[in-house]
Formats: sequence, C-alpha cells, structure tokens
Amino acid sequence: MSTNLNIEIKEVFFQIFPDLNESNFDWKKKQNDYEDWDSFSQLNLITMLEEKFSISISDMDSISIRSAEDALNFVKNRK
Amino acid sequence: MNTILENFKKYVKNSPEKPALIFDDEIISYKKLNELVNALSNSLLYLKKGSIVSIFLDNSIDFVISYLGILNAGMIAHLIPINLSDEKIKQQLENAIPELVISSQSLIEKIKNIPYNCKKITVIDLINNTSTKQDDISHTNDIAYLIYTSGTTGVPKGVPITHENVEFTTSNIITKLNYTSSDVNLLPLPLSHSFGLGCLHASLSVGSTLILLKNATNTLSILESIKKNNVTTLAAVPLTLNKILKEHKNLCSNYLNNLRLIITNSTSIPVDTVKTYREILKNGKLATYYGLTEASRSTFMIFEDSGREESVGKPPSGIEIKIQNESTNELEIGEILIKGKNVIKNYWMNEKANKKIINDWLSTGDLGHKDMDGYLYLSGRLDDLINIAGEKVMPADIEKVVKVLTGVEDVLAIGMKNEMYGEVIKIFVKKLINTKITKSEILSHCIKNLESFKVPREIEFVNDFSSDEFGKMKHFRGE
Repeated sequence: MSTNLNIEIKEVFFQIFPDLNESNFDWKKKQNDYEDWDSFSQLNLITMLEEKFSISISDMDSISIRSAEDALNFVKNRK
Repeated sequence: MNTILENFKKYVKNSPEKPALIFDDEIISYKKLNELVNALSNSLLYLKKGSIVSIFLDNSIDFVISYLGILNAGMIAHLIPINLSDEKIKQQLENAIPELVISSQSLIEKIKNIPYNCKKITVIDLINNTSTKQDDISHTNDIAYLIYTSGTTGVPKGVPITHENVEFTTSNIITKLNYTSSDVNLLPLPLSHSFGLGCLHASLSVGSTLILLKNATNTLSILESIKKNNVTTLAAVPLTLNKILKEHKNLCSNYLNNLRLIITNSTSIPVDTVKTYREILKNGKLATYYGLTEASRSTFMIFEDSGREESVGKPPSGIEIKIQNESTNELEIGEILIKGKNVIKNYWMNEKANKKIINDWLSTGDLGHKDMDGYLYLSGRLDDLINIAGEKVMPADIEKVVKVLTGVEDVLAIGMKNEMYGEVIKIFVKKLINTKITKSEILSHCIKNLESFKVPREIEFVNDFSSDEFGKMKHFRGE
C-alpha cells in the first residue's frame, strides 16, 4: 500500500493526530484505539479529506469512517 | 456642568468671530451659527415643547444648525443616518413619531417617498418660511436626542439621550482628551452617530473649530485637510486609519506631524496599527474609547506606553464597569456591564429592550475581561459566540490565528448550523491581491494552531466583507 493516494491519506492522519508517525501508523487501527480521535478530530478529519480530495462527505458517511483504511477506501470510491 | 447649548453660547459671547465650523469652502463663526440656530428654533416654536423633530441630513453646516436649533427650541432631535434602507427609515419614523423631518435639497425626495405622514422640509425653506423672530431662544427638555441602534434583525431600538447624559459624556471627552479652544478638529464621521456627535459636542463646548467632511473614504482629502487647516485632532474609525496607512503611509509623517491627537473607537485596532501611529505621531497621541450609543464613552485609552495595545482602557470617574461570568473573576471573559451617568435610563418605548437595564446596570451584550490593573479588553459579542457541541468559541479567536497567515488580508468567522454538532465554524477569507494561498494551507494552519473544536468546517474566499460605515464588520450568517 504505497500509492500516492495512500501517502496523501497518511499525511492527513499525521496532521490530525500529531502523535502518529511512520512507526506507529496502522491502517487497520480503529477510532477507539486512538487516544485523541474524538468527535472534533473526526470533524477535522472529514474537513481535511473533503478539502484535499475535493469531495463532499455527508454526516452519515462520516460516521462510517473509523480507521485510516476506511478513509482510504472511501476516497478511492469517490475519486 | 452646563448643557451643550450653554457652553456654545458662552463662546458666542466670548469669541463671536471665531470659526465654529468649516465645511467645504464655507466657514461659519460662532456668532453666525448662533443666529442661524435661533432662526431655526424660531421656525419650530409652533410645535409643543418635547416634540420630536427628525434630521435626515448628511454631514453639513445645515445638520449642525438643525440639531442645535431643535435642542434650543426645547425639542428632541431624532437623527436618521442617510444610508439606511427605506424600510429601516420607515420603521424609525413609525417608532419615533416625529412632527417634522428636516432634510436638504438633495435628500428631500428620498424622505418624501417614505410612507410616513408628516411635514418634510429643507432647512432653507424652514428658516425662510417663519415669521417668528425671537432674538435668543433658550428652551430645555430632558431628552436631547434620539438615535436608533443598528440592529441586524428586527426593529431597531430607539436610544433617548438626555442632556444630563450629554453633559457628563462631553465633560469626560474634554477632560480625558484635553480638548481646548485652540484645537482645530477634523471630523470625517457621520454626525448622526454617537462618535461623530460626541466630537461636535466637545468642539463647541471648548470653543474650538470643527471641520466637517462628508465621508471617510477619501483618505487623501483627509490628509490634505489636516495640512491645509493646521488640524490638531482627528477622529476616525480604525478602518480609516488602516486605509490611510495602506494608501499614503509615505505622506503620514509630513502630514500628521502637527496632530496632537487621533481618537478612534473600539472596533479592534490591529496592534501593528497602534504601534505605527505611535511612531508617526511624534508630537501627538493615539487614543481609543469603548462605548455604546446607550453608554457613550465608557472607557478611554491613551496609547502612551507599549504593552496594552489591545486594551480599550479604563472608565473615567463616575462610570463603573463589571464583568459578569460564572467564575465571578473579572480577569476571565464575561459579559460587560456598565453603570454611570452616561448610561440611558430606558429605551424609547421598548419594554423588552428595557430588561437590559437592571438597577442602572446596562447589559451590553459585549464580551471582555479586565487585567490586574483594571484595563478592559474586548473579545466579541455574546450573540456571536459559536456553540459547537457545547464548546463555546469566540469568532475572534479563530480570526486572530488565520490573520497571521501571509496572503490573508482579513477573516470573518461565523457559526453555521449543523445537525450533529449544533453549530460548526465557517470562515470567510479575503486574500491579499496576487497571493495564491489555498484552503488546504489555511486548514492545515488552523489544525496546527487551534484547539480541535475551533478548526473551521468550511472556508470560503470572498472579494470583500460587508462593512458598515463605522468600520465594524457585520457577521453575516451562512445559509
């Protein structure tokens, strides 16, 4: 998993969650396993994904994004 | 203390030939102004004392004649800003119920088209058509004038200002800012607003000269007038002061070196603007104040030493300010409450609005805090607080962070309705010309520099903001 899109999604996660880095990043790690993935981080993640990939994410869709992998798949399907 | 008219008439007697007002190429002495004021008062004597007379005039000598003439006849001057929509003017007239509207040749048709039934006449016709000729009229009334606050929604609130309010505030302006008879004061502000009117009161009360300009947009004409007339004080909103720096900074040291004072008002003045004017005004001072129409000039701040550039100062003697918040700690942000002789007793026929005044304390709806030495700092409006899932955010917190980005000229943050969070933040950004800053860059900057709940959900680039004549940006709501 090292396409440009993967790198870009990872960059978004690094921005939103400052404690993340290459060594502890895990595509499958779920929201509950992040200490700082609260409702506001969720909002900022969605805003950043929308802005970076020029897509629109509805409130319902945003709830379904619970991991970096979810975000990657969602953006892939939209692009 | 004396009323404005008593002070004015003192100088009519003591320095009759001294210029009281200058407007365009017209210079009018204290003596001549008094004659015209009396003539206008004569023309109103058919109305009963305490009647409302509206003024619908741009800045001009006729405005001052009408205003003083109404007060001198023991009536109440209702001041209508000329840039209001027809609907807003109609609302004011229906609420104030004036007997007469005084206007000018250029504005009379506009006011005649407003469907409110009363006599509408120009200053010239009013004076020429009267047969009463009393030499010196001097009637009084409790209320001096009536101004409506510019509410963004609903019917504007009428604010009746008593002679006692005016006397107290004028005395504070003169004392705190050291106005004297040797001053020449430049006023590019509307007289229909409390800021401009306060400057007129101060100028006439010390026997100085007031130069009126119609608007504040032509900054070169402001600078030229300062030079040509040896102006010593300038009253201008922060927007004008910034515009002068932006358009003519190279002229400032030469044109402003005779000024002893620039007085501005409480909309936020960028710290850099304060510092720049302090450097430019080698022989003068920059000052600001905080006040509402309902509580004029409640604090004064003279920027003498560095370190308090963001403060609006302290209240003068006789005015109390307290910060109301849950912690009862005035060092923390809360609503600003004001009490003093500058505060109105009640609104004009508006029981609902009167609830804002309890035991003489006016709830301003403004947010702020004090420092350890009692200096007041403004934070925003209570109404503008954005509630994001229970977290309260002040638009200024976000605006301040985004403004530091290179390429950003100005920012406006608002709350936008959201089903999940109640509200989310949207920012409008005005870019500097020829810059290529992107929304992603702004967002990244916000994520790095703001707490997570303050990060904007939406960013929109705009060409300009809707800005009212006093330099306060309106927080227009998203759809």
